[in-house]
Amino acid sequence: MTGQEHLERAYRRLPGWYPREFRREHGQEILAVLMAGAPDGQRRPGLAQSADLIRSGLWLRLRPSVPRSARTVRAAVKLMYAGAVASTVNLILLLAVIADVKVYHAIFGYHLTAAQASQLTTQFITVSVLWDLVPVAVRLWMAHAAGRGRNWARIVSTLLFGAATLNLTGAFSWLPPPGIHLTLVPMAYGPALPVLYWLAGLAVVWLLWRPGSRAFFRPPGYTQAQHQAQTAEPGHQAQMAELARVRARLPRQV
Amino acid sequence: MQEATFLILTALADGAQHGYGIITDVQQISGGRVRLRAGTLYMALNRLRADELIAVDREEVVDGRLRRYYRLTPAGTRRLADEAARLQAHAAVALRRLNLAGGMAT
Repeated sequence: MTGQEHLERAYRRLPGWYPREFRREHGQEILAVLMAGAPDGQRRPGLAQSADLIRSGLWLRLRPSVPRSARTVRAAVKLMYAGAVASTVNLILLLAVIADVKVYHAIFGYHLTAAQASQLTTQFITVSVLWDLVPVAVRLWMAHAAGRGRNWARIVSTLLFGAATLNLTGAFSWLPPPGIHLTLVPMAYGPALPVLYWLAGLAVVWLLWRPGSRAFFRPPGYTQAQHQAQTAEPGHQAQMAELARVRARLPRQV
Repeated sequence: MQEATFLILTALADGAQHGYGIITDVQQISGGRVRLRAGTLYMALNRLRADELIAVDREEVVDGRLRRYYRLTPAGTRRLADEAARLQAHAAVALRRLNLAGGMAT
């Protein structure tokens, strides 16, 4: 095997870090750029080059791919990510406070003995962390899915907002263990924080259902490539068909 | 607008180019200072395409390898022109003030 073949084989593995759709679209092209830029005699991918491919591959997997034209969806997705960041900060604050359960309960006017506090601590930390990780995970998931034009994410986000509204009004206070857990953390700092969360949620739902967002959310099976082809300038579809013909002549996909 | 984005759009300002062509052109425009890596370039191209500032012009197969050419869209041309005018206006102010300060100092 020549040095160049060796290098090419190594480079073919790197696009594996990219999302499948992106790899299918750009894998061959990126490989051509990498090979064109490789100095004579190079047998292995450079460290910086590999790190750059891995970094951008991971970034493309994680970030939302909302075009600038779908302004309302972009704003909604940003707000959802901001909500996830806020929830994480909330969790960190919570951990700082519940390090001393007595102080935490003192906020609510409960008085515990040292024995009660230590018994409660482990159980309390576990439940609280899990309880706070759920909204973080849900917000990230919804933001990610909505950013990819999944219509169900828009519906689920709206239903969750409805649940949050009921929660804010105290509709779940009958739930065991003490229903107050549902709003425990934000309420510890007064009602401003949960109301702020709720307003952010309201803004997200409003943005997701604006007429400008409709084109971005399509039924299952409708890909973003189709969305771009539909919204592109006239003559673009003929051009896309031509591109498909050229692509069919390629030796093989990465 | 980030410098890399500005340079990529500038590289496409006088005609369609393929990925490696953009990398070498950006290096030339920046006097060798900016050397785009493949991952960074394709991340930027992907974003610019999503924002409809660039579009695929054509594809060619050279020596068994795919070359995809990109071109500016009308929106991309406008955006680059606006950004260039903005940078030029800022640079003009900076140079004027530097000359003024130099004049006062001497």
